[in-house]
Amino acid sequence: MADPSRYADPAFGRAGAAALFPDVGTHQNLVSLSDLVLSIADNKQMLGLRYAEWATRAPSLEADIAAAAMGLDDLGHSRVLFGCLEPLGSDPRGPERESDPGSLRNLAYFDEPWTQWSQFVAANAILDTAFTAMIEACVGGSVEVLQHRLRKMLMEERYHFLHGRSWLRSGIDAGPLDRAWKEAIEWFGPPDGETESLHREGRLSMGPDQLRARLEEQLEMKAPSVSVDWKTWDPLRRRGQSGAIDQRTFAMLRGLEEKKYAPPSAAKQSSV
Amino acid sequence: MSGYKRVSGDALEYEVFARKTRGEPLHQVGSVVAPDDDLAMAYARATYDEERWCEMAIVRKEHVIELWQPGET
Repeated sequence: MADPSRYADPAFGRAGAAALFPDVGTHQNLVSLSDLVLSIADNKQMLGLRYAEWATRAPSLEADIAAAAMGLDDLGHSRVLFGCLEPLGSDPRGPERESDPGSLRNLAYFDEPWTQWSQFVAANAILDTAFTAMIEACVGGSVEVLQHRLRKMLMEERYHFLHGRSWLRSGIDAGPLDRAWKEAIEWFGPPDGETESLHREGRLSMGPDQLRARLEEQLEMKAPSVSVDWKTWDPLRRRGQSGAIDQRTFAMLRGLEEKKYAPPSAAKQSSV
Repeated sequence: MSGYKRVSGDALEYEVFARKTRGEPLHQVGSVVAPDDDLAMAYARATYDEERWCEMAIVRKEHVIELWQPGET
């Protein structure tokens, strides 16, 4: 009998493995390192966009500037991460990403624009630092392309961390904070899932437990008690909640939103 | 340094001082608003980075002892 684990090869694809071995559809077998990198990339892209939305709405001019700068950083990081997919051997991005916002792998926290500064700060302190912890795990792992290309991000993220930590210490609402912690822990993945497998194989230097401990250590606080139903957790989108980003943000990502504001001559040119 | 407060809540206002050469005195180049000293330093560095300063310092506005205000004698 064929060994189901052979079909964990990204080249085979998740759909193929799931069709052949429906009863072994565990996270470990069906999710690759490329899927994880795509998740970091999508989340950083959304984080960058949400930061940028606050570039004129933060409590001070300096915070406005920081929001813009961090937004640009994270958009840049997402581009570097997207560029790692091909060297990793498989690019999980399909054509559905052009039409279905639900195919993007962002956390639910980014589905809608933030309406409170507390949401910004919780994302800045908890989620941005969680993504950085995962990038540290990639840099500390055995995969060369990630070791080399992601290292610089860790330097740039120091400012994001300082920014989030300082505003967090000034005090924010508990709602966004608890939600950010829950989504960060969900995003690290189940204790016996693919992140842990990648850790055991040495491709990541940290698994979910170490990532959580790293986040707590960095923020000098304990995570709240979080219960996650891993049975309903989506291992590709790394979230338990259904839903997707709002249509306006999705149109902006696809480059459709700015066309509304383009002069008629530009619209004519682009249609030729 | 007027009594105008740029932000409400827990954030603090800091005055930023700098000089370009050792020969000139420190002078006020602006202010920043931040929740703590660490971020105030980062904000000052990022906001007032057009010049090549040889020295920069920040002071919490509440720590500045004013002798008199504009219009007073």
